[in-house]
Amino acid sequence: MAIQSIFIVSDNYAVLPEFCAGAKKLADSVTAVVFGDEAAAKEHISCGADKIIFCPVSEEGAPEDYAAPIAALVKEQQKAMVMVNNSIRGRCLAGKLSVYLDTAVLGSVNDLSVENDALFCHRVVYGGTAQRKESFTAPYGVITISAGIFEAPAETSGNAEVLPIAGEPSQPIRRISRNEKKEGAVNLVAAKRIIDVGRGLAAEEDLEMCRNLAKVLDAEVGCSRPVAENNKWMPKACYMGITGVQVKPELIVVLGVSGQVQHIGGINKSKVIVAINKDKAAPIFKNADFGLVGDMYKIVPSLIEKLS
Amino acid sequence: MKIIACCKIVPNEEEITILPDRTLNTAEASLKISQYDLNALESGKVLAAESGGSMAALSIGSSSFLENSKIRKDVLSRGADELNLVIDDAHSFSDSLQTAKAIAAALKAIGSYDVVLCGAGSSDLYLQETGIQVGTLLNLPVVNNVTGIKAASEHTLEVERTLEEEVEVLEVPLPAVLSVSSEINVPSVPSMREIMKAGKKPVNLLSIDEELAPSASIAEQLAPQQQERRQETIEGDNEEAVNALAAFLRKEGF
Ligand SMILES: Cc1cc2nc3c(=O)[nH]c(=O)nc-3n(C[C@H](O)[C@H](O)[C@H](O)COP(=O)(O)OP(=O)(O)OC[C@H]3O[C@@H](n4cnc5c(N)ncnc54)[C@H](O)[C@@H]3O)c2cc1C
Repeated sequence: MAIQSIFIVSDNYAVLPEFCAGAKKLADSVTAVVFGDEAAAKEHISCGADKIIFCPVSEEGAPEDYAAPIAALVKEQQKAMVMVNNSIRGRCLAGKLSVYLDTAVLGSVNDLSVENDALFCHRVVYGGTAQRKESFTAPYGVITISAGIFEAPAETSGNAEVLPIAGEPSQPIRRISRNEKKEGAVNLVAAKRIIDVGRGLAAEEDLEMCRNLAKVLDAEVGCSRPVAENNKWMPKACYMGITGVQVKPELIVVLGVSGQVQHIGGINKSKVIVAINKDKAAPIFKNADFGLVGDMYKIVPSLIEKLS
Repeated sequence: MKIIACCKIVPNEEEITILPDRTLNTAEASLKISQYDLNALESGKVLAAESGGSMAALSIGSSSFLENSKIRKDVLSRGADELNLVIDDAHSFSDSLQTAKAIAAALKAIGSYDVVLCGAGSSDLYLQETGIQVGTLLNLPVVNNVTGIKAASEHTLEVERTLEEEVEVLEVPLPAVLSVSSEINVPSVPSMREIMKAGKKPVNLLSIDEELAPSASIAEQLAPQQQERRQETIEGDNEEAVNALAAFLRKEGF
């Protein structure tokens, strides 16, 4: 196979079956490194990995504290790939591992291919303007990858050997408190119709108008990154784009979104794109099937009336 | 507190053109400060003011980017007292570890600092790793996705970090490296006075002597195949225009 050894490092057990199935196609041996106690690791014995190494993170500790022991484990192999779950903690682990293994991180990889026994990582650069294909030249490589890139197996089987990590965590940072964050979830990926709201929306209350349009069209509501991140008017899981959700509905109605490349990268697989924007020169119109140059505050209420 | 904000100069991605063979032409794109590094500069400006400290900016890149006086002034109009530059035409910095090694070497050359701030990820490569790598190379505490920073004492910060499903508050001993989330603030627009003052602030050229071998190589970089769109556009938000839209939706079967 292209690679001898792949180490999957994940702060989320749920991705293991998919990542293991993907890794098995590329490497002879697959080791999953997980965070939690032995009992939790044993529950995932049939995830598809040959070995599961668990890092027993304490109540005060964090997965990131185990970067050095994980790097030492990887270094037992002369060459290896480390595949890290693309979460915030995962990215922190990936960065630390890359330094200890003296190699680059190729982040948010969206495809892996093998040519002449070499592994190539594919990822988006310049905000979606191009797809870059890269390979590691160092003995080790670290990538971050999200769920949904490989095909998840219908059922899992296997009987992994479960072992504790060797070495101690290092904990330079003390946690003062932690609080669960509660945000609603929507499934935009599966939505057939979407209303896409941008910063053209003047006030949070006006989301009601967009929701009403969604109702008459039987659509879900999503948004651009600043609407979620800066205005905090919608959960972060609702923003579309290359760094957000990538959708492929039959219809998307884009309201008050300028249409920067990063946003387009998330919606350009839609079948029909309708854009409403008051700026005639907004790039969204180049990416739309049908566009209205005008004020969404005039158009949307009148459209709701006509469609009801 | 002595703060250093790292910022990358990048070609404006909106002005990158695609050639017929689907390769990119960045030569005509104007330069800008990587969008999310503006959040790092803003955080540094606020923290420097609150702690009675100072902020310096640090940027590494090629001469065609960093010798541009307009962009230097732009950085200096956003709260930095001085700008440190490592001008390097020998490396491509397409690999985040290479960049991180250069930043770490530059920080060693600068000598003393309390807080190093980085943006969430650069506008061009968006790896979201450089800050973590810099801190790890220097053996300093690192935190990513920081959404709040408060000085707790002279030697510690209280840092809020927002994860996917929880928010943690951390006590971070200094010196430390923080990557701020793009949610942390809305960068302010430089005032006329700040722009005027920017031209008079010092720019220091640093030289670093560090092995910067890349560990990945680029095989190919191509624009994705463009989806054809009909681009039927109507100007107006009157009854007639809305009727045309409703008719379009009906015709398409919605
Ligand atoms: C590394 C990186 C990654 C990014 N990833 C993403 C991503 O995944 N997703 C994403 O969305 N963004 C992303 N961005 C941000 C992106 O570059 C843009 O800043 C963002 O998409 C702009 O959002 P917007 O179109 O809602 O706002 P704006 O660009 O401010 O556009 C608002 C639009 O509303 C119009 N408007 C205003 N009032 C009205 C009205 N009354 N009626 C009609 N139209 C009106 C204006 O003409 C304007 O065109 C990323 C940026 C970077 C640097």
